[in-house]
Amino acid sequence: MEIEIQSEEELDNYTICHRCHTLHRNKVLADGTKALCTECGAVLYQKNRALIKNGLALSISGLIFFALANLFPLIKVQLVSEEQSISVLSMLFGLIDGGYYIVGFFVGFLVFVFPLMVFMIYFVLFLALRLRKGRELSRDLLILLAFVLPWNMSDIFLISILVALVKLFGMLEVQMGVSFWNFIAFVALDLYMTRNIHIGELWELRDEVYRRKQQ
Amino acid sequence: MRVDSKDLLRCPVCEAVNLDKGKRNICRRCGRRIYSHRKFRTEKSWAYLIAAIIFYIPANLYPMLIIDQFGIKTSSTILGGVIELWEHGSYPIAVIILVASIFVPIFKFLMLIYLLVEVEYYGFRKDKKIDKFKVYYLAEIIGPWSMIDVFVVALLVGLIHLSSVEMITGFASTSFAVSVLLTILAAKTFDIRVIKKD
Repeated sequence: MEIEIQSEEELDNYTICHRCHTLHRNKVLADGTKALCTECGAVLYQKNRALIKNGLALSISGLIFFALANLFPLIKVQLVSEEQSISVLSMLFGLIDGGYYIVGFFVGFLVFVFPLMVFMIYFVLFLALRLRKGRELSRDLLILLAFVLPWNMSDIFLISILVALVKLFGMLEVQMGVSFWNFIAFVALDLYMTRNIHIGELWELRDEVYRRKQQ
Repeated sequence: MRVDSKDLLRCPVCEAVNLDKGKRNICRRCGRRIYSHRKFRTEKSWAYLIAAIIFYIPANLYPMLIIDQFGIKTSSTILGGVIELWEHGSYPIAVIILVASIFVPIFKFLMLIYLLVEVEYYGFRKDKKIDKFKVYYLAEIIGPWSMIDVFVVALLVGLIHLSSVEMITGFASTSFAVSVLLTILAAKTFDIRVIKKD
């Protein structure tokens, strides 16, 4: 396919599908609609006029759920009179105390540091966009977000918790802690945000916000 | 100016469409270099992939989980754990672990080897039957799911510290985690430009 452009800036009117790398010409969308790839059906971009407000609200609730999911025990087990409980942090300290440094650090980054970073970045980014301040900061945050996002494995960790629970049910008396339910809520929010907020859209939103400010 | 869609590339950081200027590309929107490894084409990916395969071998040979019950130690490898679960009747869990720790890594190795061999030795041969972009996308998406077993073992090791039962992990979990990390890096360093659309 060949396209005719006057300058490199006109490439802003095009999008390349992340899944099949087909070139698309952008269309103006009505609020609340999505543009799908004609080849593979992947969502290319969508229009949400309240993205900054929604993003800010979602990231704050995500941070609250994250805090609650890490403060309280995730699972409790009981065998005769002995009781043990685990939270994400106690699991990490346990691994490092036990000498599993590589696994400990690895798991720590994937299920604690990166998810926290993702939501902090979203929070600060949407706050900056809302206040129309920090043009440079928002660029750095968006770049950082692109690097951290693929390493956020909280959804996979949730499946692992379920697998571990089923494994334990037969052996011991198991109880789900307060954090377990908060963690589910956190993962639901995390999935919703990563599915519905595309990095390309955020860059466009950023250009729009600071352009309007300059005028 | 007329531009062919083959000469356009997508910035992996900000998703902006950029003109492919050959060896050195700087994204016009975010200012990051796009695929800056100028001298290598597929070598970096090969290196990570081979290292990942090497680490995958001890991950399967050494015990993943050691259960110390009243001083009697029973250890099981990844495959041994799957068989044990199957025998106990937890079929869904056995299938999840089997898919996540055996099928996913092996499929990912095969997909990456296919892509690398294809672009390295057959050039830009037109292969209409298989869309290489989709193979790459699939390889990137399924990779992290093989971490399930490592997370499960981490949880069990952290949780089960009772006086009568204790769970510890072997060398397998470390080498498995390293192997997954390396496969993700192998996919990330793969220069998507070497797959050309026909």
